[in-house]
Amino acid sequence: MIGRTGFLLGIALRHLSRRQRQTIVAVSGVAVGVGFFLAVSALMVGSQNDFIRQLIDAAPHVIISDELRSPSPQPGQREFGDGAVELHGYKVRTEVRGIKDWQAIMTAANEMPGAIASPSLTGGVTLRLGGHEEPLAIVGVEPEIEAKISTIDEKLRAGHLRDLETVQGGIIIGEELAQRLSVNMGDIVAATSSTAGTRSMRIVGLAKRGQAQISSSSGYVLLREAQSMLGRPFIINRIGIRLDDPYAAEEVAARLEKRFGYKAESWQERSAEFLSLLVTRNVIMYSVVSAILLVASFGIYTVVSNSVADKRRDIAILRSIGFSEGDLQFIFVMEGIILALIGVLFGWMLGYGLMEILGSLDFSIGGETEHIPLDRTPRQYAIAAVASLIAGSIAAWLPARKASRVDPVDILRGAI
Amino acid sequence: MSSLLEARSLRRQLPGDPPIQLVRDINLTIERGSFTTIVGPSGCGKSSLLYLLSLLDRPTSGELLFEGREVSNLSGDERAQLRLARFGFVFQFHFLLPEFSALENVMLPMRRLARLNYDASRERAMHLLATMGLAGKENKTPDRLSGGERQRVAIARALANDPVLILGDEPTGNLDSHNSANVVETLRALAHEENRAVACVTHDLEIAELSDVRIEMLDGRVERIVDQRKKSKA
Repeated sequence: MIGRTGFLLGIALRHLSRRQRQTIVAVSGVAVGVGFFLAVSALMVGSQNDFIRQLIDAAPHVIISDELRSPSPQPGQREFGDGAVELHGYKVRTEVRGIKDWQAIMTAANEMPGAIASPSLTGGVTLRLGGHEEPLAIVGVEPEIEAKISTIDEKLRAGHLRDLETVQGGIIIGEELAQRLSVNMGDIVAATSSTAGTRSMRIVGLAKRGQAQISSSSGYVLLREAQSMLGRPFIINRIGIRLDDPYAAEEVAARLEKRFGYKAESWQERSAEFLSLLVTRNVIMYSVVSAILLVASFGIYTVVSNSVADKRRDIAILRSIGFSEGDLQFIFVMEGIILALIGVLFGWMLGYGLMEILGSLDFSIGGETEHIPLDRTPRQYAIAAVASLIAGSIAAWLPARKASRVDPVDILRGAI
Repeated sequence: MSSLLEARSLRRQLPGDPPIQLVRDINLTIERGSFTTIVGPSGCGKSSLLYLLSLLDRPTSGELLFEGREVSNLSGDERAQLRLARFGFVFQFHFLLPEFSALENVMLPMRRLARLNYDASRERAMHLLATMGLAGKENKTPDRLSGGERQRVAIARALANDPVLILGDEPTGNLDSHNSANVVETLRALAHEENRAVACVTHDLEIAELSDVRIEMLDGRVERIVDQRKKSKA
């Protein structure tokens, strides 16, 4: 069987070797298609992956906040439900903000495989230095734990998250804010909150510009510090969870929300708009790329179709010698597949070259030298190869079917 | 003489209104060890008959027995396999594949049948070409061979799988008289010395005179069958 396949393959190769110009045109069509598919998809997928990574890393994968998707009913409602009652002097009960029983949530989250939970408290203060006043959203964290769930440390121009523990009243703010207040590392600023008055903070870290995690108007302090500054001892209003598998976030969030009632938001939910944008982008990319591959397969169709037309006499000979319809169809389909295969090989090289060029370009964004994010995984190469081979086989199969249906008698009769 | 191929009331018509009769009422036998020719004016249906006998075409009605087995209703693949293993073909325009050398052309049927491995096929092809007087020309492509040489390559290819039945469609059609006589001598020898059945369509009456059985056709029918061996004995 293998011998016969190889033998028929040999006939297909021999046919192609005699029509070199057409072969080269068809092969280049496939090669260009595959090459640009690789370059474009490396760009698209690479930037998408980079973007998603940033979305994932921008904040913990799951954030449990002290909000409720639907507020708990007021006592009056709980008591009487649907009843028609009239109450006088009814006061709306003010629930204390913050996550109640947060230790239980922490324990539950930490028990999940590959999950780390970090509690934090956020609130608003005003930073004051000289005549400047800047509103600041402070995030109180446990540096030990927070460092495990966020990439904040990497984003600091100076200082470390751990420095919050060693320096009394330490605070980490963004570079831009520091510039506006014209302060630097080690300087002291005054922070005022509505509940606990003013206290002095020392700057122990500066975050790089353009970071989503620390925008120009937020800062990190120690959790205890935040609790006392905001006058909310022992209270936290946010639990960030980091997962080994970021894509499990939706499920983990749903589970925690169902169990504890607090709003648990996964990164996917947070960035739903962006993700739907990416879907559109992918649809556009794959339609353009399919069009390229489709056009490439036209070249294959032409070559095989011409080959069949030129070889009608040979087809009649082979059929009369005793080659079956399947043999003939196989020979001509193989011609298409060979063209596609050679095209794919050259296309891989072309694509690799284009990626090398794209990858070597430097960009300066926000003072940082960056390279274009490229996806160079073998997956793209495989997709390009499989798509071209399928397109090539179909393009070759159409004329090959015609070849197998040639009636040798018609041709012999015509030739005599 | 054993009957190898037998036609019984064979008829082939093309659809039309009225249908076009190519051949009809064909009753004949082709025997091993004999050289048969089918003759007649052009358009008498002799080629159509050959295509039916060679299983390239299917009869509209009637029976065709090969070694006593009904073969007219076999599937396309079964017929192809039978042609490959048991039949050999020689055409007027020799019909060699232009991309392949003489040797490769002769090897084609053997490689497809795969009864022999590559080396054995090659050896047999070399041998067949040598017996056809083509030693030393094995690696030439058809365009570098003369008409007579090409026809001998075609005969060598027809013999590749050691067929029991050799069919020719004007095998001497475009050859000069010297080459033509050579081809006829070869075909006669294949029948007489190797006990194969050889059947050829020809319009050359000299060749028909040299055959053992002459089938004369007219208007799609067999006009008469002349067994020339009996005549020569008588």
